[in-house]
Formats: sequence, structure tokens, C-alpha cells
Amino acid sequence: MDQPVVLAEGLVKHFGAYRAVEGVSLSVAPGAVYGVLGPNGAGKTTTLRMLLGIIDPDLGSCRLLGSPRPRSVATRVGYLPEERGLYPGMTARESIAFMGALRGLPRPEGLVRADARLATLGLAHAAKQKVRRLSKGMSQMVQLVGALVHDPELIVLDEPFSGLDPVNQERLERMILAERDRGATIILSTHVMAHAQRLCDRVAIIAGGQRRFEGTVEDARAMLPLGVRYRPRESADAASLAALLPSDAQQRDGEWRFNLPDDGVEPLLAALVAGHHGVEGLSIERPGLHEAFVKIVGETHDERHAATMEQAA
Amino acid sequence: MNILRQAFVIARRDFISIVATPTFLLFLLAPLMMLGFAMVGGASAGQLVEAAGSQERIVAIVPQSERAAYAAVDARLRPISGGPAGPPQLILIPADADHRGALAAFRADADVLAILEGSAASPRILERKGEGFPGRYLASLAEAVAREGGSAASTQPVSRPAFETIAASGTGRAAQSGLGYAAVFAIFLLTLLLAGQTVGMLAEEKGNKVIEILAAAVPLESVYFGKLVGMLGVALLFVSFWGLLIGAGALVAINQLPQQAISALALEPAIGWPAFLGFGLVYFFMAFLLLGGVFLGVGALAGTVREIQMLSLPITFFQIGMFALSTAAANAPGTQVATIAQWLPWSSPFAMAALGATDASIWPHLFALGWQALWVGLTIWVGVRLFRAGVLRSGGSWWPWAKSAPPAAPDPVY
Repeated sequence: MDQPVVLAEGLVKHFGAYRAVEGVSLSVAPGAVYGVLGPNGAGKTTTLRMLLGIIDPDLGSCRLLGSPRPRSVATRVGYLPEERGLYPGMTARESIAFMGALRGLPRPEGLVRADARLATLGLAHAAKQKVRRLSKGMSQMVQLVGALVHDPELIVLDEPFSGLDPVNQERLERMILAERDRGATIILSTHVMAHAQRLCDRVAIIAGGQRRFEGTVEDARAMLPLGVRYRPRESADAASLAALLPSDAQQRDGEWRFNLPDDGVEPLLAALVAGHHGVEGLSIERPGLHEAFVKIVGETHDERHAATMEQAA
Repeated sequence: MNILRQAFVIARRDFISIVATPTFLLFLLAPLMMLGFAMVGGASAGQLVEAAGSQERIVAIVPQSERAAYAAVDARLRPISGGPAGPPQLILIPADADHRGALAAFRADADVLAILEGSAASPRILERKGEGFPGRYLASLAEAVAREGGSAASTQPVSRPAFETIAASGTGRAAQSGLGYAAVFAIFLLTLLLAGQTVGMLAEEKGNKVIEILAAAVPLESVYFGKLVGMLGVALLFVSFWGLLIGAGALVAINQLPQQAISALALEPAIGWPAFLGFGLVYFFMAFLLLGGVFLGVGALAGTVREIQMLSLPITFFQIGMFALSTAAANAPGTQVATIAQWLPWSSPFAMAALGATDASIWPHLFALGWQALWVGLTIWVGVRLFRAGVLRSGGSWWPWAKSAPPAAPDPVY
């Protein structure tokens, strides 16, 4: 089996009394798209910074591309930070070449690649424009190209979709998949589950500085029971209908939603037909990553809230 | 990829981003606004000229039997001779078997304006070209001594001095001190103008968030050193520009002056002009790196432009403090103050440049450059760790008391 590209064990980082990360462990296989998911302030960015050696962990260890010193392999890593940063006085192509040069790519080669890749993205017209003249979305794409221009083996993207319009989001998803097809390993931090569900092979969900889940997207979705969506006839009486449906059933937009009962849907269907409520529509669905995320993070939030209340008491 | 190449990437970016702006033109012409400083410098130079006067001497190499008589006559005649300033200080040396060596040394010392040797009755007086009074004063001393030893009633001169002119070659100690002061002032002016610029350099990266990209890609030491080298490149361009202008102006002026005036102006630092200028340039680099390193490190911790502006004041005071110390060292070579100024890393480049004007030894400069380079490295090392602890909030254990710091914001602030 191939060695993990990233292997972090028990990472801990406190900022004064604030516990940003509490014992997070990660293992990322080569060629994977790995999602680091979590709500705002969960500790995702701090974890990524520790993985990259930008900040040192208080405790724990980390190996990046086989090296215990992440900075020593910096030339093989591409990084798009959460807070975007470019020099406003540089042109787009110079910015890309500069970022490549920082990672060891000769500047002339960086300029050639910058022109080519901007053209691929339909941004050839922006190549010689100063960054200060670019739109936010364009700047972001420039920075992304800069992070990838040296063809890194490991790509770390911190909230890459933030601030992008749907067209650019779609473009970025295609870029990520293309990088994976090239053989790169990608770590992707986001709190938008739709992207993670489409792109990630495995995900880690971090909340309150701790890793709450690690596995495939399907593993996460399987943590929740199947959901049923049922649409009765318009004339159906809501009160008598509610008496027949499981206790967790909730009505929204003329549709009832509830978890699939342990004995399946057939007994319920029979009762609904017998009660003359009718069946305009019925579907059984696997909950998405979004729902799984909300459940996992919600539990964490409840635990932390309870702990806070206990401390306050 | 080695650290220097990475530093070069940073340096190149910084150099171009600074030079390729209209603001740089204003910056380039800023010395015109520094005329005030030149006037302050002029006042100090005036003090130096006064001090120079006090270093001028006359020497009498006389028989042991006449020594006391010369001292007594000098004490009597000095108050009534030579105007308010009086004659230069008299040095009395006994004429013995060893006095030839002393005579040679005094001939070479430009601060010795006249030398008397031989008996009072027939002394030989060596005087510098164009320095009439000191020689005449020595002759009057010999005449008085000869009279006291012979027939006091004679109305004819009893002493018959033979005057000789000695070449005015060599630069006096006072003039060399003046050169040392000029070196201190020039290096100070340039570092005041240029090194202070580094204080806000990392603020740009913190403001536009590029610092995280830099910190992830290259060691912070490379970022710091690259920024200093980039700014040093700007400083070098500045110095070259003004050096060429001033050099061209000096050449024109020299061509217009008569040969005698040029000879009178000729000064020679103790280590010679090539070494003096070469070391001066290297000491400017060192002063820039040392002071710039401190300012860069301090400025990197500032969170806002206002904080940076506020930092400028103590930074200027610090620079002026180093200047004052080095000026004192230039005016008093060989004293304890000079030694302190030469050892203290942030005044060392100034004080050592001044030392080159008055001391011909080369090895102290080589040692000092090594010492200063060590401190440049140390300054960058400390600056990086402060930045990591204070801004990136990493490596906090570097400070033993950091663990007891109050709770911090969850994310680094830049």
C-alpha cells in the first residue's frame, strides 16, 4: 500500500486559552481528493497551517510527502490560503510566475505557464492586467493558477469556492478533478457540502477543534437513516394524516418528510390508502452529506453548549 | 532550492515594486529636504574645526640644560603672542641620542607646525610652508633663552636661527578626525533616510494577505533577508545616483580650482582613500542591514499604519542615539567612548568607518565586519521568531512567559 501523502497524529494547537485544535489526526492517501469539513471556527485552517508547517503544533506530529519537516518539501506543495493575497501592483501573469518562483519554478517558465493556463481558463485578456484591476473572482482564479503553476504533488485548498460565482465554481471543480487525474493529491477545506460531496473521496469533519468523523462521503451519509418524502392528495386532512405518520414527520411545502420506519414503507402505504389520503408522490432517499454534516456538527455544538452551561452553573 | 535563491525571489519583487513607482522619484530627491540635517552637520563640523586647532603643536628639541629656560620663556611670552588663540602648544623634547627618530615623526605629523632643534644661539627651525608665525615664535623663544644665557645688554640678536621649509605632505590628526566625522555623518544620513523605510515593509504583506503565501512557501528567514536585500538594492541605487552627481560636481569644481588650493584641500585618511571608501561603503551596507533588520522586525509586529507611524519616532531617536555615540567616537579616537561605539553592533559601522580615518590598521575592520555580520544574522533570527510568535502565533514557547499570556483571538492577526 502507498504511504500516505499526509499523516498527522494528535495535532494540538492552543492560542492562549483558546483551544483551536485538540488532537486531530488525518491520513491522506496519494491521488485522493480529501475534504476537511467543518463549520466556521472549527479549526480547519489552523489544522492546514500546521500540516504545511506555517505554524508549529503545540503537540502532535505531522509527515508531509514522507518528510517530518513540512517546510523541506514546500516546493512540491501548492497552497491556496483562505485569505486571498496578491500584490496589487503586479500583473496577473507576474503574480503567477512569482508564486511559482517561490516554489522553485524558474521565472521565465512560470510566465510561459501563466499565459497558457490563463488562456485555458478564458482569462488570457487578464494576463497583463494589474491585479488591482481584476475582479475578485478573477483575482481568485489567478491565485489558484499561481498555487498550481509548478505542478505540485500535493495541493491544499482552503475554502477555494468562497467568493466565486457559480460559473467559476464549476470551472474550479473541473480544475480540481483535472489535477487529481494528473496524479496530484488534493486536500480541500470547505463548509459547502455540495462541493465536498461531488469532489471528495474521503472527508474529515472537524468541529470544536476535534475530528468528529473520518471516512468516505458514503460512510458519512450512511450514518443517517433513509428518508421518505410523501406527498398526499391536496384534499387530505392534515390532522388525521399526522396521526398515521411516524412521530418525526414534518410537513414542508405540501410534502411530508420522515425517516424510513424500521418495518419499511409498505405498512404505512397500506394505512394511507385505507384512510383515503391518497399518494400523489412517494420517494425514499439517502440523506446527503449536508444532512450528515449538520447532524455531526449539531451534536458537537450541543455537547459544547451543554459543557459551557455546566461550567457557567 | 537554497535559501539565497528564495531570498533573491523576494528581493527582486521588492526592488522592482519600489523602484518602478512615481513615489520613488520623490524619495530619490528627498535629500533636498535633508538640508536641515546638513546645517546641523555644519555646526558640528565647526566644533570639530575648533577641536582641530587645539591639536596643532610646535616642537623644540633642545639641550637638557636649556629645557627649563624654554619652558619659562614660553610661559612668559605665550600670553602676549599670537592674538587671542595664542601660539600652538609647545612640546619640549631633550636632544639626546634618540631624538632623530622623534624628529622624523614630528616632520611627518601635519599637526606639528614648526620644529626647533639645536642650541638657542644657532637653532635650526623647520617650518611648514605658509605657516610663518609658529616658526617665528620658536625663534623668539630661542632668542630669549640665548639672551638669558649670554650678555643681556646686547642690542643685537644673539640667536641666529636657520629656517628651513618642510613639505606640507600628510594629513593632520585633526583633519583625519574631521574625515572620520564626515564618514559617520554620511553613513548616518543615508541609513536615516533608507533603513527607516524597512519599518513598514512587512505591513504590505500583512495588509494584502500575501504573508501567508510567503510563509507557506519559503522560510521566514528568506522573507526577512530578501526584504532587507531588496531595500538595500534600492539604497545602492540611491547612493549610486547621488554619488555620481556629487562626484561629477566635485570633478568640475576641482578643475576650476588653482593647484595650490587643491593641495591645501588634499586630505588622506589613515588607511588611504581606496580602503576608506571601500570600507565606508561596506559599513553603510552593514549599518543598513543592522538598523534595517531591527526596524523590519519591530515594524512587522505593528498591526496598523498608525502603529508604524508611532514606531517611527522611537526609531529615529534610536538612530540619532547611535549617531551621537559614533560622533563622540570620531571626535575622540582611542577613548573608552570610541571603544564602546566600535563594539556596540548598531553604532559599530559608523564608529569603525571613523576609525579608518585615524588608524591605519586593516585587521580591526575585518574583525568588525565579521562581528557586524554576526549581528545581522542574529537580528534577523530574533525578528523572525518575534514575528512567528507575535503574528503567526507559532513557536510561542520561545518566550518563557508567553504561556501565561491572556487568551488570544482564534486566528492569527494580519
